[in-house]
Amino acid sequence: MAYSFPEEVLEHVFSFLSSDKDRNAVSLVCKSWYEIERWCRRKIFIGNCYAVNPRIMIRRFPEVRSIELKGKPHFADFNLVPEGWGAYVYPWILAMSKSYPLLEEIKLKRMVITDESLELIAKSFKNFKVLVLSSCDGFTTDGLAAIAANCRNLRELDLGESEVEDLSGHWLSHFPDSCTSLVSLNIACLVSEVSFLALERLVARSPNLRTLRINRAVPLEKLPYLLRRTSQLVEFGTGAYSADVRSDYFSNLTEAFSGCKQLKCLSGFWDVVPAYLPAIYPVCSRLTSLNLSYATCQNPELGKLISQCHNLQRLWVLDYIEDFGLEELAANCKDLQELRVFPSDPFAAEPNVTLTEQGLVAVSDGCPKLQSVLYFCRQMTNAALFTIARNRPNMIRFRLCIIEPRTPDYLTLGPLDAGFGAIVENCKELRRLSLSGLLTDRVFEYIGTHAKKLEMLSIAFAGDSDLGLHHVLSGCESLRKLEIRDCPFGDKALLSNAAKLETMRSLWMSSCSISFEACKMLAQKMPRLNVEVIDERGPPDTRPESCPVEKLYIYRSVAGRRFDTPGYVWVKKQL
Amino acid sequence: MMELQLGLALCGNSAKGYNLDDFNIGSLCGNFNLNNNIMKGSSSEILDVQDENNVQVLQTLPLLVWDKDDADGHNESQRKDGDENGMVGWPPVNALRKKLCHQSRHRLYAGAMNYVTVKNGGVGGGGRGSNCYKYVKVKMEGIGIARKIDLSNFQSYGTLTDTLISMFGKSRENGDVYKLTYQDKEGDWLLAGDVPWRAFVGSVQRLKLIRDEDY
Repeated sequence: MAYSFPEEVLEHVFSFLSSDKDRNAVSLVCKSWYEIERWCRRKIFIGNCYAVNPRIMIRRFPEVRSIELKGKPHFADFNLVPEGWGAYVYPWILAMSKSYPLLEEIKLKRMVITDESLELIAKSFKNFKVLVLSSCDGFTTDGLAAIAANCRNLRELDLGESEVEDLSGHWLSHFPDSCTSLVSLNIACLVSEVSFLALERLVARSPNLRTLRINRAVPLEKLPYLLRRTSQLVEFGTGAYSADVRSDYFSNLTEAFSGCKQLKCLSGFWDVVPAYLPAIYPVCSRLTSLNLSYATCQNPELGKLISQCHNLQRLWVLDYIEDFGLEELAANCKDLQELRVFPSDPFAAEPNVTLTEQGLVAVSDGCPKLQSVLYFCRQMTNAALFTIARNRPNMIRFRLCIIEPRTPDYLTLGPLDAGFGAIVENCKELRRLSLSGLLTDRVFEYIGTHAKKLEMLSIAFAGDSDLGLHHVLSGCESLRKLEIRDCPFGDKALLSNAAKLETMRSLWMSSCSISFEACKMLAQKMPRLNVEVIDERGPPDTRPESCPVEKLYIYRSVAGRRFDTPGYVWVKKQL
Repeated sequence: MMELQLGLALCGNSAKGYNLDDFNIGSLCGNFNLNNNIMKGSSSEILDVQDENNVQVLQTLPLLVWDKDDADGHNESQRKDGDENGMVGWPPVNALRKKLCHQSRHRLYAGAMNYVTVKNGGVGGGGRGSNCYKYVKVKMEGIGIARKIDLSNFQSYGTLTDTLISMFGKSRENGDVYKLTYQDKEGDWLLAGDVPWRAFVGSVQRLKLIRDEDY
C-alpha cells in the first residue's frame, strides 16, 4: 500500500515554492503531484505570449491570481518590428475575465493593450490590485480613467515606458476619495499635465505609498507639496527638474527631500538645472539606486552628486559623466552592482564627450560587486576588455555598444574577438551578452566554447559566415534568446541546428542571409516551432525562394500558429 | 535551385559538400558550394558576391583597415531609410531616448537664437543644461558694442558664425561678408576654422568678426 500525504499537506508544502522552476519540477514528479500543484499555482509567467494560448493556460491552471506576459521581440524597442505585428492582450483578458474572477495582478511587457481591455479589466476583476504596463502601447488615458474609477483596491499602477495616447490629465481625478490603497504609482511616461491638485490629494490619502514617479509636466517648485505629504516614500521620480533659480524654491526642496528618511531610489531629472542638484544632497548617502539617464547635466555637478552616494548599488547615467566621473564613481561607490551609461548624442558623427573604454575599466577595477553593465561608447580595445574580464569574473550581464558598427580595436586596428573571448572565458556566470565592434567568426567560437550559462545573446554587424551562428547554436547550452541583425549568417547554420531552436524561447534574425526556402523547410520539419517571415516588400513568393528574407522570428509554441498576423508576416499554412 | 538537406541532429545529413560534424575549428575554409545568389542589403562589403553559379563564402576576411571616413560614406549609402544616419534601430536606443536627444539638440540651437532674450541669465537654461560655460566676448567690425556668447551652446563653426551674424543684426543679403577671427591662449589673432572645433573652443579667448575685403 502506498503511503502518501493528504493533498492538503502537499498543497501547503507547495505553497512555499515561489519560483516557477521549482513548481515546474514538482509537477513532473508524478501525476498526483502534477494535479495538486496545478490547482494551487497562483502566479504564471509567460515569456512569449504566442508560446501558449489562454485556453491551454486556464485548462491547466484554474486558480491563477497573477499573470505576467511578454509580447513583442526585444528588437521592437528599436523600431525593428513593424507596426501591427501582434502581441494583443485582449484575447487573454477576455478569457481571464470569464475564468479568473479573482485575478489580482496583470504585468505586461511589449504588448498592445487597448482601452477596451483596460475597461474589461476594471469591470471583471473585483479584487484587482496590480497593473504593470512596461513598454506597452495601444491605449489612452481614457482606459486609465476606467482603471482608476473601478479598481477599489488598486495597489500598483505602473506605466513603465509605455506609449500612451494622452488625451487629458483628468483621468487621475477618477480615483475615488475612498481609494486609499495605493502603494506604487508610476506615470513618468505621460506627456500631458495631470491635475496637480488631484495628484496631491491622491498622494495625501495613500498612507501606504512607497513608490511615486511623476511625469515631466510636474514642475520642480511643486515637488515639495508632494514630498511633504508622502515622506515615507522609498522610490521617487521627479518631473522636470528645472525652474528659475530662486532661493526659496531651493530651500523648500532641500527641506522636503531631507524629510524623506526612507528614500532609497531617485529617478526623473528631465531638463536638469544644475543649481538644484544640491537639494538632493541630504538623501545621497541613503540612495541605493539613481537614474540620471535623462539628466543632461555634466561634470563637475554630476560627479559631485554621485560621489556622495556611497551606498549606491545601481546607477543609470548619460555619457556626460565621462571617464573622469566614472573614475570618481569607482573611488566612491564601492557597493555598485549595476552601471548603465547611455549616449547623450548617439547620432553625432564626432564624440561630444570624453567617454572611452577607460571609464569602464576604472569602474570594473574599483567596484568589486559590479555584475551588470550596459555601456555605450565610441572606442574599445581588446586590452581593456581583458582587464575588465580579469577584474570582474562575477559579471552576469555585459552589454557593450560601440556606436559605430564594426569599429576595430583602436590600438591594434584588429577585431575585438579576443577581448570578448576573455569576457566569456573569465565570467563563468555570464547570463546576458551584447556584442559590438569589429568581430569575426572567432568571437563566436569563443562564445560557443565558454559561455555555458549564457541565456541571452545580442549580435549586430558581426561575423563572417554561417560558422559564427553555428558556434553559438551548437555551443551555448543555456541559450534561450538569440537576436541577430545585419550578420552574414545563412541557411546552413540555421537548418543544421534546427533542433536547438526548440530548446530556446526565440530567435530573431534581420538583415541576414536566411532564404525563404529555408524558412519554409524549417516550418515544415519543425511543427513545434512557429516560423514567422516578416517582409514588407510583399509576398515572399513574388521573389525567388533563395532570396533572403528581411526579418525572421522563430519561437517554440504549443499553441500552433497564430491567426492575428498582419499582411507582411508569413506563417506556415498547414499545421 | 539549391537542394538543402535539413539535419535535425548534428550527426544527421547536412547540406551537400559540407559536414558540420567534421568541422575542424582551425580550418575555416569549408567548401560551401552555395549555388544561390546571396543578395545582401547592407553588408555586401563582408560577403563577396561572385558569379551566380559558384559563390564561395570567403574564409576569415582580411581585417578591415579602419578608415573612418571611407567606412561612413560606404555604409550610409546602403542603409535603409531610418534613423538619423540612415540605419534603422542603430544605435539601439529606444524611442523615448531618441526623442530626448532630438529635443536637447534643438534646444541647443534655439538657446543660441534666443540668446538675447534668455530670462534666467543662462543658468543651465536651454542647451544641455550644462554648467560648462565658455563665455567669450564678441566684437563685430563697425559695431561699437561688444556681445558675449556661450560657446558651449555650439557644435560647429557654421552654427556659430550664423548665430553671430544674426545676433549683430546683419544678414548675408546686405552684401557684407564677414570673416571670423579669434584670439587664442597665446594672444595671437587667428582665422577661425583651421583647427578642429573642440580644439578651437579650448583655446579661444575672444572673437571678432571682420569684413572680408576680398569680396
